[in-house]
Amino acid sequence: MKQSGASALLQGAVQDLASGVASALRGGGRTSREDLHATVRSTSDLDLAAARVLGADLLLPAVLDGTAPTGPEVDLARRAFDAYPPPVTAAPTVAWSHWALGHTLRRVGAPSGPVPEPGPEPDASWLTGAPWPSLTHHLAVLAPLALPGQDCAVARLARGRTLDVARGFVRAIRRRDWYQAAGAGRWLAVLPDVPHTLGLPSGLDFVELMGGGDARVLLQVRAARLIGSGVSV
Amino acid sequence: MSAADVRQVAGSDLRRTARAVQEAALRWLSRNRAHFLLGDGALAPDGRVNDSWKPLGELAQVCSTLCARTPPSDPVHSCARELLAFAWRETGEGALFLPLQRGEPFATYPLEVYAAFASAGLRHPGYERAAATVAATRGWRLTEQHPTRRLGVLCAERQIGLHRDDHESELLARTWLGGLPEPWTFERASGYALTHVVFHLTDWGRGGPGLPAAVADHLAHWSPAWLVTCLEAGLWDLACEVAAVAALVPTARTDAAFEAALGETWPRIARAQYTSGALCEVDTRMPQAAPSQEAVPRDEGAPGPDGHGFRTCYHSTLMAAFAAGLTLARWDGVCDEPSPSWMTTGVPG
Repeated sequence: MKQSGASALLQGAVQDLASGVASALRGGGRTSREDLHATVRSTSDLDLAAARVLGADLLLPAVLDGTAPTGPEVDLARRAFDAYPPPVTAAPTVAWSHWALGHTLRRVGAPSGPVPEPGPEPDASWLTGAPWPSLTHHLAVLAPLALPGQDCAVARLARGRTLDVARGFVRAIRRRDWYQAAGAGRWLAVLPDVPHTLGLPSGLDFVELMGGGDARVLLQVRAARLIGSGVSV
Repeated sequence: MSAADVRQVAGSDLRRTARAVQEAALRWLSRNRAHFLLGDGALAPDGRVNDSWKPLGELAQVCSTLCARTPPSDPVHSCARELLAFAWRETGEGALFLPLQRGEPFATYPLEVYAAFASAGLRHPGYERAAATVAATRGWRLTEQHPTRRLGVLCAERQIGLHRDDHESELLARTWLGGLPEPWTFERASGYALTHVVFHLTDWGRGGPGLPAAVADHLAHWSPAWLVTCLEAGLWDLACEVAAVAALVPTARTDAAFEAALGETWPRIARAQYTSGALCEVDTRMPQAAPSQEAVPRDEGAPGPDGHGFRTCYHSTLMAAFAAGLTLARWDGVCDEPSPSWMTTGVPG
């Protein structure tokens, strides 16, 4: 009971933070980070854990906006990076998520203080040859890596498997797994040669319509739209 | 991907599994063939077509394709031929189609059922003359039908040599599949519509005008996702139909993931199949509406006294045999080669 209660609290904190990021991504043009500023000022352990769950996407408005993140954004991201180093036994997606957070912190720079060292890229061989359903599942978890021009092993691997991710997007919608669909949709926004018959823009609208009540879904859909609109980072 | 690559993807274990599913399904159909009998009310004005002519026509359609897709030396060919001969006898070797048509001259189902036999070389000249007379009227041609249904009628007319000016490409463009829909809009109803469009354009896997390139590309891209999600949802009947469609997508346009999705269908269908060979339409453990588990006992799969078990299983069992036959034909490369003589001579005897 206690654990499920804590889990519910964490989920709530993740939703609040994701909602702040999604609000900042609203509009499709330059981002407005007022809502995000309100959420990143929280400093409890729960907020720190929520920031780690959200990972690099905490800084997504700054990345897509092309402007420097504010002090509170960087502070929360940096503390989350430091507080949750992945153990050696961590799942590959956890290691990659942590690396992505460090990499993004280094990319956007920091108004003050040292920039963390993300370390070398984790191994990506576990994704090589993965069947398209599991590939899409893992990529959706690693959606923060789906950025224009992102050069890392996961992104390079994804670029060679556009049709597989597109099939995974279809499967996710069929399964009513809106989070996976939104993450796959964001990857498709950065991948080459997406079959036009997929109907990605209307697919993203559909995912938002059906699953947009989840702020994490909304965040990914809005990120995909911004990326798809040609925003350069 | 070459035919050799396809065969490599379809390893011998998968081939054996697909074959075992097919043989078990045909055994169940043979054991339960009495349930396909038309019954006394088949020619009654208020006859229940869905319980008489429809199942018999579906049996004929599947067996006609299996005969066309297997050499006479194959036991599957012999079994399908026997079932087809049984069904043909049940129609009075075609003679019953005449009173059936007189009862409903402008109904299309008599012709559609008859066409399944005609495609296998089982023909009744008297009925064909009667069908041609009706089909020559403007009224027959102006019958208002959904495009998928119209393609089915055109397919049936083609089997007895009737041709009209309908442009299949225009009809096709108005179907769900032909309009190249967003693939994530696939649902059960659209799934059944798309499979039947493909069956009608390919004469149920025996030939026909075939699939236009854009439709073949659409199927090559998206049928793996449709197939996998039908299997994951336990929609066995629709999964078998989609597998049959996938098996008809030209090999040259496919990829390893496509072939893997088709191959991996068979262990899943095998696990869903009763030891009797029957396959339920849907997985009864899944949350969607489904016939009760008790409808067909797992150990024997025989229909209950009221025939309820037969009704919930016969179509999906037919589709399992059908899809397995087309899959095996694809793996054997039969689809890519000129028709051997046994594909065009119809059913002997």
